[in-house]
Amino acid sequence: MQSYWFGDVGEGRCSMVTGDANAMVSHIRALSTRMDEFIPADWQQAVTCGACSDRADYLARLQAVCIAAAERSVREHYAGKDAELLQMVRTLDEIDTVINLLSERAADWYMVRHPAFSRKYRRTPAHILVRTMREKSRGALGMVAGEIGQLADTRTALAKEVSARANDVMPNTSALIGGLVAARLMAHAGGLLPLSRLPASAIQVLGARTALFAHLKTHSPSPKHGIIFQHRRVHNAPRDIRGRVARVLAGKLAIAARLDYFRGVAAPEFLLEAQERIDAAGKGGGA
Amino acid sequence: MIWIGDVLVSRGEGGVYNERMLGGARIWEPYRSKLAALYHVGKGVELEPSLRVLYLGAANGTTVSHVADYTEVVYAVEFAPRPMQDLIEVARRRRNVIPIMADATRPETYAPLVEAVDLVYQDVAQPDQAAIAIRNSVFLKPGGYLVLMLKTRSVDVRKDPALVFDETIAALKDAGFIVQESVWLAPYHQDHAAIVCTKPPKPGE
Repeated sequence: MQSYWFGDVGEGRCSMVTGDANAMVSHIRALSTRMDEFIPADWQQAVTCGACSDRADYLARLQAVCIAAAERSVREHYAGKDAELLQMVRTLDEIDTVINLLSERAADWYMVRHPAFSRKYRRTPAHILVRTMREKSRGALGMVAGEIGQLADTRTALAKEVSARANDVMPNTSALIGGLVAARLMAHAGGLLPLSRLPASAIQVLGARTALFAHLKTHSPSPKHGIIFQHRRVHNAPRDIRGRVARVLAGKLAIAARLDYFRGVAAPEFLLEAQERIDAAGKGGGA
Repeated sequence: MIWIGDVLVSRGEGGVYNERMLGGARIWEPYRSKLAALYHVGKGVELEPSLRVLYLGAANGTTVSHVADYTEVVYAVEFAPRPMQDLIEVARRRRNVIPIMADATRPETYAPLVEAVDLVYQDVAQPDQAAIAIRNSVFLKPGGYLVLMLKTRSVDVRKDPALVFDETIAALKDAGFIVQESVWLAPYHQDHAAIVCTKPPKPGE
């Protein structure tokens, strides 16, 4: 017997699938086929079966079911808690890029208007510089500086949201490395499921693609860390043990990501043990 | 295939992706579509109104829409949700596009939906592209065509594209395909090749 979207066919008999569009979608998604004895569908069988009247009707009905099924699949995919977090992180990183680009450009412009101005030997933070430019510039330059300020505010708000969402969606990973960096790891992997499937060694160098391929192609040293460098435990560690801290941290992150995907809630005893282990690596123990 | 001068076009409802029009027909850009590039650098497979097509790696439905202009029906398989949203929109406007959200490496998940086809067109960014084509050849009628757009960089970025090309052709031949044409798609697409094969007719036909 062969199962098709419109019904089951075998030994000269045919039983048609009945029900509304929803039922049809559930039916085709539940079908499983043994490929070794599979025979492709034949529209004339569907006509004999009573599922449709002619070729055009066959295609029209099949298309309707397939569109409904695809829509349901898309909806389910986006229903995952990580889907929106992914977009939030990517937007955040994009805003950072835009702010940097625009600030550089605006500063260059400002220096043309104020030939005596230089940023050398000043410890003015970027946002103060932007404010100065806004207040002291007429016309479009002042507006551009204003926009940069607005974007910076948006960025701050978004970063808070990302952090909070990450704490909720990936509690274990976030507890180890902070919500923002956890969310970035997830975004780089392409979602929580792909992240949970990565080996620790891949998590360790996630975001260090250029360095990794330079290492594989030439004989340059392998990267010690990618995104996880952003965590204070890694970048604050002395240079000579940074690689070890990154490796141990990545190992625990791989476990944490799996807990997040499959369990979805914080595992206090794991976190306690993991924090101790990572601290030990930072103090020179546990190589 | 329809050519207006040296411009490849297809006849159908325009405005799918803001494509340019020429004499009421949709311009099919070789720099955007690998299949269009194949018609520019090689022979390809003549698309006809009677053809049934299984399209693996349908993406946003850009090339799909052109193939659908030429053929009877296109079974468009795509795995990723974002392009699938666009593909569904294309299907709503073209009654001969059947969108299927499934993984081309697992034909058993969409087998009950697909009929026997005259052409399997494959453009997937996967490492095992020959294996995917072979697994999907159950849908291909004897004597039918397989057009495989080989993304050599997806097979192995570190391997020489020419080597990947030769290995893929060897794998297809081992599986019983008869290779009709194999060309690189330069200058339109870098490190991409097109391999056109036929499935042998049943003995005695």
